[in-house]
Amino acid sequence: MTPIRRNLPKLLAPLATFACVVLLLAPGGSSEGQPRGGGARYASIGNDLLQKARETGDPSYYTRAERSFHAALRRDARDVDALLGAATLAGLRHDFGEQLRLGIEARRLMPESVAAYPEIADAQVELGRYRAAERTLQRMLDIKPNLTSYSRVSYFRELHGELDGAVEAMRLAASAGGGARENVAYVQVLLGDLELQRGRVGAARLAYISALRSRPGYPAGMVGLARADAASGDLGRAAARLRRAAGRLPLTATLVLLAEVERELGRPAAADGALAAARAQQRLYREAATLPDAEAVIFEADHGSPAHAVRLGRRVWDAAPSVRSADALGWALTRAGRPREGLSFARRAIELGSRDALFRLHAGIAARAAGLAASATRHLAVAADARAALSPRAARRLEEALR
Amino acid sequence: MKRLSFLAALLAVAVAVPLSIGSSHREAPRILKDPTADNTDVWAFTAPDAPGSLTVVSNWIPLADPAGGPNFYPLDENARYYVKIDNTGDGYEDVAYRWQFKTRFRNPQSFLYAAPTVDSVRDPDINLVQTYDLYKETYNKKRKLVDVERIADDAPVVPDNVGPKTVPNFAQVEAGGVTPLKGGGKTIVTPADDAFFVDLGTIFDGINLDAPGRPNIGLGNQGGGKDDVAGYNTKSFVLQVPEAEVTRNGKPVAGADAGNAVIGVWSTTERRRGSVLSRGKHGRGDRWVQVSRLGNPLINEVIIPIGKKDKFNATSPANDAKNFGRFALNPEPARLLNALFNLGVKETDRADIVQALLTGVPGLTQIGKKPAAADTLKLNLGVPPAANPNRFGVLAGDVAGFPNGRRLIDDVVDIELRVIAGALLPADQGGKQIPLGDGVDQNDKPFRSQFPYVALANDGFSSDPKRIEPQHAPVPQPPQ
Repeated sequence: MTPIRRNLPKLLAPLATFACVVLLLAPGGSSEGQPRGGGARYASIGNDLLQKARETGDPSYYTRAERSFHAALRRDARDVDALLGAATLAGLRHDFGEQLRLGIEARRLMPESVAAYPEIADAQVELGRYRAAERTLQRMLDIKPNLTSYSRVSYFRELHGELDGAVEAMRLAASAGGGARENVAYVQVLLGDLELQRGRVGAARLAYISALRSRPGYPAGMVGLARADAASGDLGRAAARLRRAAGRLPLTATLVLLAEVERELGRPAAADGALAAARAQQRLYREAATLPDAEAVIFEADHGSPAHAVRLGRRVWDAAPSVRSADALGWALTRAGRPREGLSFARRAIELGSRDALFRLHAGIAARAAGLAASATRHLAVAADARAALSPRAARRLEEALR
Repeated sequence: MKRLSFLAALLAVAVAVPLSIGSSHREAPRILKDPTADNTDVWAFTAPDAPGSLTVVSNWIPLADPAGGPNFYPLDENARYYVKIDNTGDGYEDVAYRWQFKTRFRNPQSFLYAAPTVDSVRDPDINLVQTYDLYKETYNKKRKLVDVERIADDAPVVPDNVGPKTVPNFAQVEAGGVTPLKGGGKTIVTPADDAFFVDLGTIFDGINLDAPGRPNIGLGNQGGGKDDVAGYNTKSFVLQVPEAEVTRNGKPVAGADAGNAVIGVWSTTERRRGSVLSRGKHGRGDRWVQVSRLGNPLINEVIIPIGKKDKFNATSPANDAKNFGRFALNPEPARLLNALFNLGVKETDRADIVQALLTGVPGLTQIGKKPAAADTLKLNLGVPPAANPNRFGVLAGDVAGFPNGRRLIDDVVDIELRVIAGALLPADQGGKQIPLGDGVDQNDKPFRSQFPYVALANDGFSSDPKRIEPQHAPVPQPPQ
């Protein structure tokens, strides 16, 4: 007698759980559109591990999550949850081609569900396939407008320079809410970031406060407030907040910003310490099989060897020819003393119409160094409108370039 | 997503898939839950204290832990929350009630939602303030919107029951949220104890039935089950309107046989869509799109396959026969009962299930002569409330209960289990009387006999989720 048979009476429990039983038990279940059994628990363990990676900033969880998803897919190659988890992981590791492949495979298995669309859209955006991404996003928005789709639409609009529309979509994302308070806090931070791009420091501050109300102590919210502090000239307060945020979650971006603020405050030793921590963090990500992305290129260009940044930038651009990769490679070239080539990539970064402060600053500096004064002035003027979004160091570069 | 949200939460599945960490590229979350749009249950009944009126309870935002922080999930001010009524039997709404919310912070700089003490629904110590307007929409036979009337204006949402220090007298605060409606009747939007009751836990842990400390629940018909929803809150929208506001001829219902007696009720949530890019054009052609709906309990959970849920949530009950009829006619749970336990339950051609839930029982819950097979909760307004309601409703001969509408006390899990096993079929057509259940018979908190009927919200301070049903003698099928 199998354990299931023996426990028959108790198994006849709630009707509502039968959907779950299908997932867990039904061998080769015949039902249409149902993911089949076996690996559901492995997939959920994998997602738990990715959550853990996010909470701790420790990318070694990636490797363990990968094992879980593989275990699930070995049991059932059609396990949609595992496919989507693996797709998310691929995206986190900047392997956008793999993310796209897995997302499309999941969609093929559940053609009438939107579950796979976020993976597909993210990968298409990072691979620079903007027309395809727009179609995917429009479909998401048509079928299931919610935090997931609104926040992506917002980013897509931002890349196209439609800042007001980006803010509008991000507000919809925040009011729609999510299943975890972190999701809501996260989009409230992104809303704050957009407000900085629009030059509205007060509105940005309120958005960051909302994030911290949703999730007290949320590191990204503290980083946001630090950026608002820096934009209003209060570097001391910014540094204190960044140290607290980095203590909770030592992300590269936070550490680099801290280093730049410390440097502006005339504390080189503290700045060097933060940079060393950022480098260590980058190493951890490499060891967890994370591919370099635009952020690593910019970091290398600003705080390492520009020549190496160019090599890294080429790799990143070849793998993921997005506007972000173009900006990073362009900046590396400019920093390496090749501003004409730098400018050609900087132009690609803004070809969709982006008004991103850093993209425009990079384009302006490249144009100036290439001797194209009028073009430089144009780009720098756009950057100046969005200067609240720049780090203190970038803001100083802007001032120098404008002189 | 409905009750699957519970599955997700109880399985401790990550509710959101991580965002990017090691990079600045901006992956937004891929959420598996969308509570502000998630309407988990609808009840529709004639309340004993309000004969001549329709009473509807509709819940959104499931599994709110009372101690999880006040107003953790405010209602979405950019969504439309609907209770819809079909009085012609075509599966399309003829009357629809739409709640739309506004959110503001009295002090946007503050990190708090509320400060002690909150003594009334409009107390200035409430920082996050939500209010709503309620609209009544009327449609003609061609499904055109012919009238929209605002029947409540700037009504307050009852704040969350943070605990006795912040909200010393929650009942008094809640009472202030009862809002009279233009045209008669009243409404309230309030946090409340989730009126649903079910044992979900047994099977989640990898079918871990032999876990120590778990009472033997037998066939689930003798108590012993654990109510996994007990102690959790939700947002309850309660609406009570004169029958004449919703009947097909705009008149009160003379009796159970009257031509206007039966209505179909369901709830939906709509959000805004638009163009991804404006490309310099003004406006984005904003339109509303339905992202969730709910009529009969558990249809979405057990009848609609996972891959079809997005489609189910986006479509109208009027098209249910075409889109999902085969899933109701050949229900997965019947196959499952047989595959697992070899019960010999009829798996195909389950016209009895289609009739009980979708087309309506002739003479009781069927609307008109040729009704659409639509997932709406059918209620015969002419059936007077039962003096002694039975949680098995129609199965126990109590025709004032589910599937004639749904009262708060109706044990829909036990009823549907028994129906799927064949309780409504004659023995010579595969009928089986199997006394199934989930071991949970009633809500953890008693319902109120007066508006808004649902139990008062659990407070955050003394929060104590889950409850075990005491064991009792087995309840046979048919129930006594």
